Amino acid sequence: MTQLSAPTKRHLQALAGLVLLTVLGSCTSTTVDEFRQGATGIDSGESIVILGRRHASDYETRAEFVDCVGERMNSGSDSISVIPEKEFVDAMFPWFEPRTAPLRTRDLERLMAEQVVADKMEEFGIRYMVWLDGFTETSGRTGSISCTVGPGGAGCFGFGSWEDDSNFDARVWDVGSLQNVGTISTDATGQSYVPALVIPIPLIARVEANACTRLADQLKQFVNGE
Amino acid sequence: MNSVSGQTTSTNTFYKRVKSLCVAALAVLLAGCGVSNVVIEGNYPTPNVASLPVNVAVVFDQALRDFHYIEYSEIGDEEYNIASGDSHIALFSAILPAMFESVVMVDSLEEAQGLGLDAIFYPVIDEFQLALPQKTKLDVYEVWIRYNMRFFAGDGDPIADWVQTSYGKTPTETMRGTDAAINDAAVVALRDLASSFSLSFAQVPEIKDWIAAR
Repeated sequence: MTQLSAPTKRHLQALAGLVLLTVLGSCTSTTVDEFRQGATGIDSGESIVILGRRHASDYETRAEFVDCVGERMNSGSDSISVIPEKEFVDAMFPWFEPRTAPLRTRDLERLMAEQVVADKMEEFGIRYMVWLDGFTETSGRTGSISCTVGPGGAGCFGFGSWEDDSNFDARVWDVGSLQNVGTISTDATGQSYVPALVIPIPLIARVEANACTRLADQLKQFVNGE
Repeated sequence: MNSVSGQTTSTNTFYKRVKSLCVAALAVLLAGCGVSNVVIEGNYPTPNVASLPVNVAVVFDQALRDFHYIEYSEIGDEEYNIASGDSHIALFSAILPAMFESVVMVDSLEEAQGLGLDAIFYPVIDEFQLALPQKTKLDVYEVWIRYNMRFFAGDGDPIADWVQTSYGKTPTETMRGTDAAINDAAVVALRDLASSFSLSFAQVPEIKDWIAAR
Protein backbone atom coordinates (compact mmCIF):
# COMPACT_ATOMS: atom_id res chain seq x y z
CA MET A 1 0.00 0.00 0.00
CA THR A 2 1.40 3.40 -0.99
CA GLN A 3 1.98 5.71 1.99
CA LEU A 4 1.48 9.46 1.70
CA SER A 5 4.59 11.54 2.14
CA ALA A 6 4.85 13.77 5.23
CA PRO A 7 4.49 17.08 3.33
CA THR A 8 1.40 15.76 1.52
CA LYS A 9 -0.13 14.64 4.81
CA ARG A 10 0.50 18.08 6.34
CA HIS A 11 -1.11 19.81 3.34
CA LEU A 12 -4.16 17.56 3.54
CA GLN A 13 -4.48 18.14 7.28
CA ALA A 14 -4.24 21.90 6.79
CA LEU A 15 -6.91 21.76 4.08
CA ALA A 16 -9.20 19.62 6.26
CA GLY A 17 -8.73 22.05 9.15
CA LEU A 18 -9.55 25.02 6.99
CA VAL A 19 -12.70 23.34 5.65
CA LEU A 20 -13.81 22.34 9.17
CA LEU A 21 -13.32 25.86 10.52
CA THR A 22 -15.22 27.28 7.60
CA VAL A 23 -18.11 24.81 7.98
CA LEU A 24 -18.40 25.58 11.69
CA GLY A 25 -18.28 29.30 10.96
CA SER A 26 -20.87 29.38 8.13
CA CYS A 27 -23.90 28.77 10.31
CA THR A 28 -27.06 30.85 10.49
CA SER A 29 -28.48 32.42 13.61
CA THR A 30 -32.22 33.10 13.55
CA THR A 31 -34.43 35.07 15.91
CA VAL A 32 -38.24 34.85 15.84
CA ASP A 33 -40.55 37.23 17.70
CA GLU A 34 -44.31 36.83 18.00
CA PHE A 35 -46.79 39.53 18.96
CA ARG A 36 -50.33 38.20 19.40
CA GLN A 37 -53.24 40.62 19.25
CA GLY A 38 -56.19 38.22 19.06
CA ALA A 39 -57.28 34.60 19.38
CA THR A 40 -56.69 32.29 16.42
CA GLY A 41 -57.68 28.82 15.35
CA ILE A 42 -58.56 27.17 12.06
CA ASP A 43 -60.99 24.42 11.06
CA SER A 44 -60.18 21.64 8.64
CA GLY A 45 -62.29 23.13 5.82
CA GLU A 46 -60.70 26.57 6.08
CA SER A 47 -57.57 27.84 4.42
CA ILE A 48 -55.11 30.73 4.48
CA VAL A 49 -53.44 32.74 1.76
CA ILE A 50 -49.89 34.09 2.03
CA LEU A 51 -49.11 37.20 0.01
CA GLY A 52 -45.93 39.21 -0.48
CA ARG A 53 -45.75 43.00 -0.12
CA ARG A 54 -44.50 44.59 -3.33
CA HIS A 55 -45.47 48.25 -3.05
CA ALA A 56 -42.11 49.61 -1.85
CA SER A 57 -39.92 51.34 -4.40
CA ASP A 58 -36.55 49.89 -3.39
CA TYR A 59 -37.35 46.23 -2.70
CA GLU A 60 -40.06 43.61 -2.96
CA THR A 61 -40.80 40.39 -1.13
CA ARG A 62 -39.61 37.56 -3.36
CA ALA A 63 -42.26 35.18 -4.65
CA GLU A 64 -39.90 32.24 -3.97
CA PHE A 65 -39.84 33.10 -0.25
CA VAL A 66 -43.63 33.33 -0.13
CA ASP A 67 -43.89 29.93 -1.85
CA CYS A 68 -41.36 28.47 0.59
CA VAL A 69 -43.36 29.56 3.62
CA GLY A 70 -46.58 28.29 2.06
CA GLU A 71 -45.13 24.88 1.22
CA ARG A 72 -43.73 24.48 4.72
CA MET A 73 -47.04 25.40 6.34
CA ASN A 74 -48.88 23.02 4.00
CA SER A 75 -46.73 20.03 5.05
CA GLY A 76 -45.93 18.02 8.15
CA SER A 77 -48.04 17.64 11.25
CA ASP A 78 -50.83 20.19 11.86
CA SER A 79 -50.51 21.25 8.24
CA ILE A 80 -52.69 24.12 7.07
CA SER A 81 -54.34 24.44 3.67
CA VAL A 82 -52.58 27.29 1.84
CA ILE A 83 -53.93 28.87 -1.33
CA PRO A 84 -50.99 29.58 -3.72
CA GLU A 85 -50.28 33.30 -4.06
CA LYS A 86 -50.39 33.44 -7.85
CA GLU A 87 -53.66 31.51 -8.03
CA PHE A 88 -55.26 33.85 -5.48
CA VAL A 89 -53.96 37.10 -7.02
CA ASP A 90 -55.05 36.04 -10.52
CA ALA A 91 -58.50 34.94 -9.28
CA MET A 92 -58.97 38.24 -7.41
CA PHE A 93 -57.56 40.41 -10.20
CA PRO A 94 -57.31 43.45 -10.10
CA TRP A 95 -57.82 43.84 -6.35
CA PHE A 96 -54.51 42.46 -5.04
CA GLU A 97 -51.98 43.96 -7.46
CA PRO A 98 -49.11 46.02 -5.95
CA ARG A 99 -51.02 49.25 -6.68
CA THR A 100 -54.40 48.07 -5.41
CA ALA A 101 -53.68 45.59 -2.59
CA PRO A 102 -55.07 46.61 0.83
CA LEU A 103 -52.35 47.98 3.10
CA ARG A 104 -54.40 48.05 6.31
CA THR A 105 -57.30 46.05 7.71
CA ARG A 106 -59.69 48.96 7.13
CA ASP A 107 -58.74 48.80 3.44
CA LEU A 108 -59.66 45.10 3.52
CA GLU A 109 -62.98 46.06 5.09
CA ARG A 110 -63.69 48.40 2.13
CA LEU A 111 -62.59 45.68 -0.28
CA MET A 112 -64.86 43.06 1.29
CA ALA A 113 -67.78 45.41 0.60
CA GLU A 114 -67.31 44.48 -3.08
CA GLN A 115 -69.61 41.49 -3.54
CA VAL A 116 -67.34 39.80 -6.10
CA VAL A 117 -64.39 39.94 -3.64
CA ALA A 118 -66.47 38.60 -0.75
CA ASP A 119 -67.80 35.78 -2.94
CA LYS A 120 -64.31 34.77 -4.09
CA MET A 121 -63.01 34.79 -0.51
CA GLU A 122 -65.84 32.50 0.52
CA GLU A 123 -65.21 30.28 -2.48
CA PHE A 124 -61.57 29.85 -1.42
CA GLY A 125 -62.61 29.34 2.22
CA ILE A 126 -60.04 31.83 3.43
CA ARG A 127 -59.92 32.37 7.17
CA TYR A 128 -56.61 34.25 7.46
CA MET A 129 -54.60 36.44 5.12
CA VAL A 130 -50.86 36.53 5.86
CA TRP A 131 -48.78 39.41 4.50
CA LEU A 132 -45.03 38.80 4.23
CA ASP A 133 -42.82 41.84 3.99
CA GLY A 134 -39.04 41.82 3.85
CA PHE A 135 -35.92 40.94 1.92
CA THR A 136 -32.44 39.47 2.21
CA GLU A 137 -29.52 41.86 2.15
CA THR A 138 -25.96 40.87 1.33
CA SER A 139 -23.12 42.85 2.85
CA GLY A 140 -19.53 42.61 3.99
CA ARG A 141 -18.18 41.11 0.77
CA THR A 142 -14.44 40.53 1.18
CA GLY A 143 -11.67 38.64 -0.54
CA SER A 144 -11.22 37.63 -4.14
CA ILE A 145 -10.82 34.48 -6.19
CA SER A 146 -8.73 34.20 -9.33
CA CYS A 147 -9.14 31.42 -11.84
CA THR A 148 -6.72 30.58 -14.61
CA VAL A 149 -6.70 28.19 -17.56
CA GLY A 150 -3.55 26.96 -19.23
CA PRO A 151 -2.18 24.12 -21.30
CA GLY A 152 -1.37 22.21 -18.12
CA GLY A 153 -4.84 22.59 -16.62
CA ALA A 154 -7.09 25.02 -14.80
CA GLY A 155 -7.57 26.12 -11.24
CA CYS A 156 -8.84 28.78 -8.90
CA PHE A 157 -7.10 30.30 -5.92
CA GLY A 158 -8.30 32.74 -3.31
CA PHE A 159 -10.91 33.22 -0.65
CA GLY A 160 -14.23 35.09 -0.62
CA SER A 161 -16.80 35.70 2.08
CA TRP A 162 -19.98 37.71 2.62
CA GLU A 163 -22.77 38.10 5.12
CA ASP A 164 -26.50 37.66 4.41
CA ASP A 165 -29.22 39.18 6.61
CA SER A 166 -32.84 38.09 6.06
CA ASN A 167 -35.44 40.23 7.77
CA PHE A 168 -39.14 39.38 7.31
CA ASP A 169 -42.38 40.31 9.03
CA ALA A 170 -45.61 38.33 8.77
CA ARG A 171 -48.87 40.12 9.60
CA VAL A 172 -51.88 37.87 10.08
CA TRP A 173 -55.32 39.30 9.24
CA ASP A 174 -58.49 37.54 10.29
CA VAL A 175 -60.78 37.82 7.23
CA GLY A 176 -63.89 37.18 9.32
CA SER A 177 -63.35 39.84 11.99
CA LEU A 178 -61.25 42.08 9.67
CA GLN A 179 -58.66 42.49 12.42
CA ASN A 180 -54.90 42.15 12.57
CA VAL A 181 -54.54 39.25 15.01
CA GLY A 182 -50.76 39.15 15.22
CA THR A 183 -47.31 39.84 13.85
CA ILE A 184 -44.38 37.45 13.62
CA SER A 185 -40.91 38.79 12.84
CA THR A 186 -37.89 36.77 11.87
CA ASP A 187 -34.29 37.90 11.52
CA ALA A 188 -31.69 35.45 10.21
CA THR A 189 -28.03 36.21 9.62
CA GLY A 190 -25.24 34.04 8.33
CA GLN A 191 -21.74 34.15 6.91
CA SER A 192 -20.83 32.37 3.68
CA TYR A 193 -17.34 31.38 2.59
CA VAL A 194 -15.78 30.26 -0.67
CA PRO A 195 -12.20 29.04 -0.24
CA ALA A 196 -10.59 28.13 -3.53
CA LEU A 197 -7.68 25.72 -3.62
CA VAL A 198 -7.58 24.64 -7.25
CA ILE A 199 -11.35 24.18 -7.10
CA PRO A 200 -13.70 26.58 -5.29
CA ILE A 201 -15.43 25.05 -2.29
CA PRO A 202 -18.66 27.03 -1.73
CA LEU A 203 -19.83 26.95 1.89
CA ILE A 204 -23.06 28.91 1.65
CA ALA A 205 -25.07 29.82 4.73
CA ARG A 206 -28.70 29.09 3.89
CA VAL A 207 -29.97 32.24 5.54
CA GLU A 208 -33.20 32.77 3.64
CA ALA A 209 -34.05 29.07 3.78
CA ASN A 210 -33.62 29.08 7.56
CA ALA A 211 -35.71 32.24 7.87
CA CYS A 212 -38.44 30.53 5.81
CA THR A 213 -38.38 27.38 7.97
CA ARG A 214 -38.49 29.19 11.32
CA LEU A 215 -41.12 31.70 10.18
CA ALA A 216 -43.35 29.01 8.67
CA ASP A 217 -43.15 26.83 11.79
CA GLN A 218 -44.02 29.76 14.04
CA LEU A 219 -46.87 30.85 11.74
CA LYS A 220 -48.28 27.32 11.73
CA GLN A 221 -48.39 27.29 15.53
CA PHE A 222 -49.85 30.79 15.62
CA VAL A 223 -52.65 30.09 13.13
CA ASN A 224 -53.51 26.83 14.88
CA GLY A 225 -53.98 28.83 18.06
CA GLU A 226 -51.03 27.34 19.98
CA MET B 1 11.38 7.75 -35.36
CA ASN B 2 8.04 6.57 -33.98
CA SER B 3 8.38 8.81 -30.90
CA VAL B 4 9.11 11.86 -33.10
CA SER B 5 6.04 11.22 -35.32
CA GLY B 6 3.98 10.59 -32.13
CA GLN B 7 5.08 13.95 -30.68
CA THR B 8 4.20 15.73 -33.95
CA THR B 9 0.70 14.13 -33.97
CA SER B 10 -0.07 15.19 -30.39
CA THR B 11 1.23 18.74 -31.05
CA ASN B 12 -1.02 19.00 -34.14
CA THR B 13 -4.00 17.76 -32.11
CA PHE B 14 -3.26 20.35 -29.40
CA TYR B 15 -3.11 23.21 -31.89
CA LYS B 16 -6.37 22.00 -33.52
CA ARG B 17 -8.09 22.09 -30.11
CA VAL B 18 -6.76 25.56 -29.36
CA LYS B 19 -7.95 26.75 -32.78
CA SER B 20 -11.46 25.30 -32.18
CA LEU B 21 -11.58 26.96 -28.77
CA CYS B 22 -10.58 30.33 -30.24
CA VAL B 23 -13.24 30.08 -32.97
CA ALA B 24 -15.89 29.22 -30.37
CA ALA B 25 -14.82 32.11 -28.13
CA LEU B 26 -14.93 34.52 -31.09
CA ALA B 27 -18.44 33.35 -32.01
CA VAL B 28 -19.67 33.95 -28.45
CA LEU B 29 -18.05 37.39 -28.40
CA LEU B 30 -19.64 38.39 -31.70
CA ALA B 31 -23.08 37.11 -30.58
CA GLY B 32 -22.86 39.28 -27.46
CA CYS B 33 -22.21 42.42 -29.50
CA GLY B 34 -25.55 42.48 -31.34
CA VAL B 35 -28.91 43.88 -30.22
CA SER B 36 -31.03 41.58 -28.06
CA ASN B 37 -34.67 41.22 -29.18
CA VAL B 38 -37.23 40.83 -26.41
CA VAL B 39 -40.86 40.09 -27.26
CA ILE B 40 -43.04 40.69 -24.22
CA GLU B 41 -45.25 37.72 -23.39
CA GLY B 42 -47.55 37.39 -20.42
CA ASN B 43 -50.90 36.10 -19.15
CA TYR B 44 -53.51 38.65 -18.15
CA PRO B 45 -56.48 37.54 -16.04
CA THR B 46 -60.02 38.76 -16.60
CA PRO B 47 -60.74 41.52 -14.06
CA ASN B 48 -63.47 41.08 -11.46
CA VAL B 49 -65.27 44.36 -12.09
CA ALA B 50 -68.83 45.33 -12.87
CA SER B 51 -69.36 45.72 -16.61
CA LEU B 52 -70.87 48.88 -18.04
CA PRO B 53 -73.91 48.59 -20.34
CA VAL B 54 -71.94 50.02 -23.27
CA ASN B 55 -71.06 48.46 -26.64
CA VAL B 56 -67.57 49.56 -27.56
CA ALA B 57 -65.27 49.40 -30.58
CA VAL B 58 -61.59 49.41 -29.62
CA VAL B 59 -59.02 50.70 -32.11
CA PHE B 60 -55.68 48.91 -32.29
CA ASP B 61 -53.83 50.95 -34.90
CA GLN B 62 -50.60 49.92 -36.60
CA ALA B 63 -48.51 52.04 -34.24
CA LEU B 64 -49.77 50.05 -31.25
CA ARG B 65 -49.51 46.69 -33.00
CA ASP B 66 -45.92 47.34 -34.07
CA PHE B 67 -44.83 49.21 -30.93
CA HIS B 68 -41.26 48.55 -29.94
CA TYR B 69 -38.75 50.33 -27.74
CA ILE B 70 -34.99 50.40 -28.26
CA GLU B 71 -32.65 50.74 -25.30
CA TYR B 72 -29.27 52.22 -26.15
CA SER B 73 -25.97 51.68 -24.42
CA GLU B 74 -23.91 54.54 -23.02
CA ILE B 75 -21.95 54.73 -26.26
CA GLY B 76 -25.08 54.83 -28.40
CA ASP B 77 -25.23 51.20 -29.55
CA GLU B 78 -28.57 49.43 -29.65
CA GLU B 79 -28.73 47.06 -26.69
CA TYR B 80 -32.32 45.83 -26.45
CA ASN B 81 -35.24 45.94 -28.88
CA ILE B 82 -38.41 45.39 -26.84
CA ALA B 83 -41.58 44.56 -28.78
CA SER B 84 -44.77 44.87 -26.72
CA GLY B 85 -47.52 45.44 -29.31
CA ASP B 86 -48.91 41.91 -29.21
CA SER B 87 -48.85 41.86 -25.43
CA HIS B 88 -50.80 45.12 -25.26
CA ILE B 89 -53.44 43.65 -27.56
CA ALA B 90 -53.61 40.50 -25.43
CA LEU B 91 -54.01 42.67 -22.34
CA PHE B 92 -56.84 44.81 -23.70
CA SER B 93 -58.48 41.70 -25.16
CA ALA B 94 -58.58 40.24 -21.65
CA ILE B 95 -59.83 43.25 -19.72
CA LEU B 96 -62.17 45.14 -22.07
CA PRO B 97 -64.79 42.36 -22.49
CA ALA B 98 -65.15 42.32 -18.69
CA MET B 99 -65.56 46.11 -18.54
CA PHE B 100 -68.16 46.55 -21.29
CA GLU B 101 -71.24 44.75 -22.50
CA SER B 102 -69.61 43.99 -25.85
CA VAL B 103 -66.30 44.78 -27.51
CA VAL B 104 -65.35 44.81 -31.21
CA MET B 105 -61.71 45.21 -32.25
CA VAL B 106 -60.89 47.30 -35.31
CA ASP B 107 -57.82 48.74 -37.02
CA SER B 108 -58.82 52.36 -37.46
CA LEU B 109 -61.06 55.12 -36.13
CA GLU B 110 -62.90 55.30 -39.48
CA GLU B 111 -63.72 51.59 -39.30
CA ALA B 112 -65.00 52.05 -35.72
CA GLN B 113 -67.23 54.98 -36.70
CA GLY B 114 -68.79 52.83 -39.40
CA LEU B 115 -69.95 50.23 -36.89
CA GLY B 116 -72.44 52.55 -35.17
CA LEU B 117 -71.71 51.29 -31.66
CA ASP B 118 -72.17 53.28 -28.44
CA ALA B 119 -68.55 54.33 -28.06
CA ILE B 120 -65.01 53.99 -29.37
CA PHE B 121 -61.93 53.41 -27.23
CA TYR B 122 -58.55 54.32 -28.76
CA PRO B 123 -55.41 53.63 -26.65
CA VAL B 124 -52.07 55.07 -27.73
CA ILE B 125 -48.65 54.35 -26.20
CA ASP B 126 -46.96 57.70 -25.65
CA GLU B 127 -43.75 56.68 -23.99
CA PHE B 128 -41.88 53.59 -22.78
CA GLN B 129 -38.98 53.69 -20.35
CA LEU B 130 -36.68 50.94 -19.15
CA ALA B 131 -34.27 51.05 -16.22
CA LEU B 132 -31.56 48.39 -16.03
CA PRO B 133 -29.65 47.54 -12.82
CA GLN B 134 -26.29 47.93 -14.55
CA LYS B 135 -27.17 51.57 -15.24
CA THR B 136 -29.17 52.57 -12.16
CA LYS B 137 -27.03 50.57 -9.68
CA LEU B 138 -30.26 49.32 -8.06
CA ASP B 139 -31.18 45.64 -7.73
CA VAL B 140 -34.32 45.94 -9.83
CA TYR B 141 -35.39 46.05 -13.47
CA GLU B 142 -38.06 48.76 -13.98
CA VAL B 143 -40.50 49.50 -16.79
CA TRP B 144 -42.60 52.64 -16.98
CA ILE B 145 -45.18 53.24 -19.70
CA ARG B 146 -47.32 56.30 -20.42
CA TYR B 147 -50.55 55.99 -22.39
CA ASN B 148 -52.92 58.46 -23.98
CA MET B 149 -56.40 56.99 -23.57
CA ARG B 150 -59.06 58.41 -25.89
CA PHE B 151 -62.77 57.75 -25.66
CA PHE B 152 -65.19 58.81 -28.39
CA ALA B 153 -68.90 58.55 -28.97
CA GLY B 154 -69.95 56.08 -31.66
CA ASP B 155 -70.00 58.81 -34.30
CA GLY B 156 -66.46 59.94 -33.47
CA ASP B 157 -67.27 62.93 -31.23
CA PRO B 158 -64.60 63.10 -28.48
CA ILE B 159 -65.80 62.35 -24.95
CA ALA B 160 -62.60 62.04 -22.91
CA ASP B 161 -58.84 62.17 -23.43
CA TRP B 162 -56.57 61.36 -20.49
CA VAL B 163 -53.09 60.16 -19.60
CA GLN B 164 -52.56 56.90 -17.76
CA THR B 165 -49.23 55.58 -16.53
CA SER B 166 -48.15 52.14 -15.44
CA TYR B 167 -45.11 50.87 -13.59
CA GLY B 168 -43.56 47.45 -13.12
CA LYS B 169 -40.43 46.16 -11.45
CA THR B 170 -38.77 42.86 -10.83
CA PRO B 171 -35.74 42.16 -8.63
CA THR B 172 -32.48 40.87 -10.00
CA GLU B 173 -31.95 37.17 -9.48
CA THR B 174 -28.99 34.88 -9.86
CA MET B 175 -29.11 32.68 -12.98
CA ARG B 176 -31.93 34.70 -14.59
CA GLY B 177 -31.06 36.42 -17.87
CA THR B 178 -31.66 40.10 -18.60
CA ASP B 179 -34.23 39.29 -21.31
CA ALA B 180 -36.39 37.30 -18.87
CA ALA B 181 -36.13 40.03 -16.24
CA ILE B 182 -37.17 42.73 -18.75
CA ASN B 183 -40.13 40.58 -19.78
CA ASP B 184 -41.19 40.08 -16.15
CA ALA B 185 -40.95 43.80 -15.35
CA ALA B 186 -42.95 44.68 -18.47
CA VAL B 187 -45.66 42.13 -17.63
CA VAL B 188 -45.95 43.63 -14.13
CA ALA B 189 -46.30 47.07 -15.73
CA LEU B 190 -49.02 45.82 -18.08
CA ARG B 191 -50.90 44.21 -15.20
CA ASP B 192 -50.57 47.52 -13.35
CA LEU B 193 -52.18 49.25 -16.33
CA ALA B 194 -54.97 46.68 -16.39
CA SER B 195 -55.75 47.10 -12.70
CA SER B 196 -55.66 50.90 -12.64
CA PHE B 197 -57.56 51.26 -15.93
CA SER B 198 -60.32 48.79 -15.08
CA LEU B 199 -60.88 50.33 -11.64
CA SER B 200 -60.59 54.01 -12.56
CA PHE B 201 -62.23 54.12 -15.99
CA ALA B 202 -65.73 54.90 -14.75
CA GLN B 203 -64.32 57.62 -12.43
CA VAL B 204 -62.90 59.73 -15.27
CA PRO B 205 -65.13 62.85 -14.92
CA GLU B 206 -66.13 63.17 -18.57
CA ILE B 207 -66.90 59.45 -18.84
CA LYS B 208 -68.84 59.52 -15.57
CA ASP B 209 -70.96 62.40 -16.91
CA TRP B 210 -71.46 60.66 -20.27
CA ILE B 211 -72.63 57.42 -18.64
CA ALA B 212 -74.97 59.34 -16.33
CA ALA B 213 -76.48 61.16 -19.31
CA ARG B 214 -77.23 57.95 -21.27
